Amino acid sequence: MAELKTLDLRPGGQTAHVWEGGDPASSALLFLHPVTGIPRWGDALEALAKDFHVIAPYQPGWGPAKDDLPGVRDGLDLVLFNVDLLGTLGVDSAHVVGISIGAWIGAEIAAIRPDAVQSLTLVNPLGLWSENHPGEDLFAQHPGHPTAVLFSDPDKRAELLMEGRDALDAYVEELLDLRASAKFLWPIPDTGVGRRLMRIDTRTLVATSANDNIVAKEMGDIWRAAIPGAQSVELADSGHLADLEAPEALSNLVRDFTLSGA
Amino acid sequence: MKFHWFHGMPWPHLPPDFRDRSNSVWVDVDSRYYDPIVGHRLYHEYLDQMEYAEQVGFDGLIVNEHHQNAVGLMPSPQLMAAALARRTTRAAIIMLGTSLPLYNPPTRLAEELAMLDVLSGGRLVAGLPVGTTMDACFAYGANPATIRDRYREHHDLVMRALSEPEPFAWNGEFSKLRYVNIWPRPIQQPIPVWIPGGGSAETWDFCAEMGYSYSCLSFDGRFHAEEVLDAYWSRLAELAVPFNPYQGAVNQTFAVAETDAEARERYDPHLHYNWYVGKHLDPRWANAPGYTSERTMRESGAATQAPPTPEPSFDERIASGTLIAGSPESVTEQVEDLVKRLRVGHLIGVFQFGDMPTELTNRNTRLFAEHVIPRLRHLWGEYVDHWSPTPLNRPEAIGRDQTESKTSEQAETLELAGIN
Repeated sequence: MAELKTLDLRPGGQTAHVWEGGDPASSALLFLHPVTGIPRWGDALEALAKDFHVIAPYQPGWGPAKDDLPGVRDGLDLVLFNVDLLGTLGVDSAHVVGISIGAWIGAEIAAIRPDAVQSLTLVNPLGLWSENHPGEDLFAQHPGHPTAVLFSDPDKRAELLMEGRDALDAYVEELLDLRASAKFLWPIPDTGVGRRLMRIDTRTLVATSANDNIVAKEMGDIWRAAIPGAQSVELADSGHLADLEAPEALSNLVRDFTLSGA
Repeated sequence: MKFHWFHGMPWPHLPPDFRDRSNSVWVDVDSRYYDPIVGHRLYHEYLDQMEYAEQVGFDGLIVNEHHQNAVGLMPSPQLMAAALARRTTRAAIIMLGTSLPLYNPPTRLAEELAMLDVLSGGRLVAGLPVGTTMDACFAYGANPATIRDRYREHHDLVMRALSEPEPFAWNGEFSKLRYVNIWPRPIQQPIPVWIPGGGSAETWDFCAEMGYSYSCLSFDGRFHAEEVLDAYWSRLAELAVPFNPYQGAVNQTFAVAETDAEARERYDPHLHYNWYVGKHLDPRWANAPGYTSERTMRESGAATQAPPTPEPSFDERIASGTLIAGSPESVTEQVEDLVKRLRVGHLIGVFQFGDMPTELTNRNTRLFAEHVIPRLRHLWGEYVDHWSPTPLNRPEAIGRDQTESKTSEQAETLELAGIN
């Protein structure tokens, strides 16, 4: 079972809203959410919590941290937020798993604070741009269903993201999560991380989803080629949000890769 | 009461099957529909129409800013304002508006506002919108997550640059300028500011805070505008701002003819063109995430997938208030009703729409100026208009002297319109 905690990271610093689950004595796993945040403690996190001490923060600007967006301007601010969070929890280093925009943040942490990262799993990573593989524009979507494009089947949005929530709240939160994403990815998701990927020396796995409309599978090859020694793999039967669409495949992939190097 | 003449400057040569052939009229519209040789003539025709509006008695000429848009050919309203400044002498030149967050450095805009105010002899109104999501975010790449913060910072910088006599340093989040010291300086201190908007609560609060005039630019008709302006006036009252009708403006499309029947016959094809191409907007461009604040989203409710609406008939346009049409008598009655209901001192008239040619546009303009303005000029006479320019008086002001060049017919129209 997991708990949503609120922590003050340091005097004058930020407040973190973080899901924490699993046995604190297990290896720590920092889960960096996709552009849609963490709609709930879902199946993927629950499965990972069987083997890991899962730490899943809302990045500043997402979900309950929606009002914290002005406090972060760039990737470095996001790296410091996550590093401060691990420090506050007394965790020296963690396996880092990032999906979508979270993969970019994970790669930045690994490039800047390699000592804090035991392994790196990047799933459907955003943050690099290729004119040859632009994917769909994440931000130019119908306002009535702005995240439908993130699913392999647009109808899955209603079931996996919106169900059980007040319609207006869900819609507003959906757009606020996209707003936070836009702060870092607008209008082209090139964050500059490409200049730092060669610094990553931790074990890295890059995964792309077969039915991701946003991140083409060729982008997985570009990420793998840029990170020394990285491996790559394809997740079948999922769109961009592998945590929601393929929780079992995702958790198996993370467990197998992470524990195989232990 | 003040009457202003707005030009959208649409491209009038899109094909009848445009909707089948193009994804959208905005952002990704096919540029091959534009012909620069035809465009050369068109710009001059459109500017002629605006100059004519001044000659027959309108108080202000309104230009605006759109990008990558086939029904708005003014990416730079400053260029059009400059052309008008040279060829007019009396009317206010109202930029409604120039998209404040899009200028980098923002002092470029301060300089251009100052240039225009000096060039026009103090006739400038600065309309300062955020810019639509299509223009600002998708065409110009402004980040929707920060565009409102950027707007506020640019506003503060531009206003200070226009008024602060000493050089100053600006260390903002979006602009860092060690030496701000613009030349030239504007004649008007301050240049009147109008804030155009749809209906966002933040805009109203900003107008109240800064003492600016709010322009409700709605193309959903005057009944919708009435709801918006009611909410605006209520908000000002809540904030203890004394009511003054000149702190509000609204736009309205007009089709004036000798008779109601003639209005229908002559204007209907151009209304059709305007609707057919102008409303062809891909909804993907309508709402960049973050552009609309949480407060406004919650107040306006969740977006729904409304089916495309069919084109309204001429009568339906009148019934919904998107159009005021008919004989001068009928139009006068409707305008008086509108002005009193909406309680606005500035009326922004749209007299050219779609593919309407110059001859009909000028006729529309003239009938309104001759017959409607004189009958309604007296409205709100008990209030002082603090939001119109205070131009130089002669002999300081120079320019084409209309008292000598105007025809006797024009002189009569001006007199009727209450302008000496």
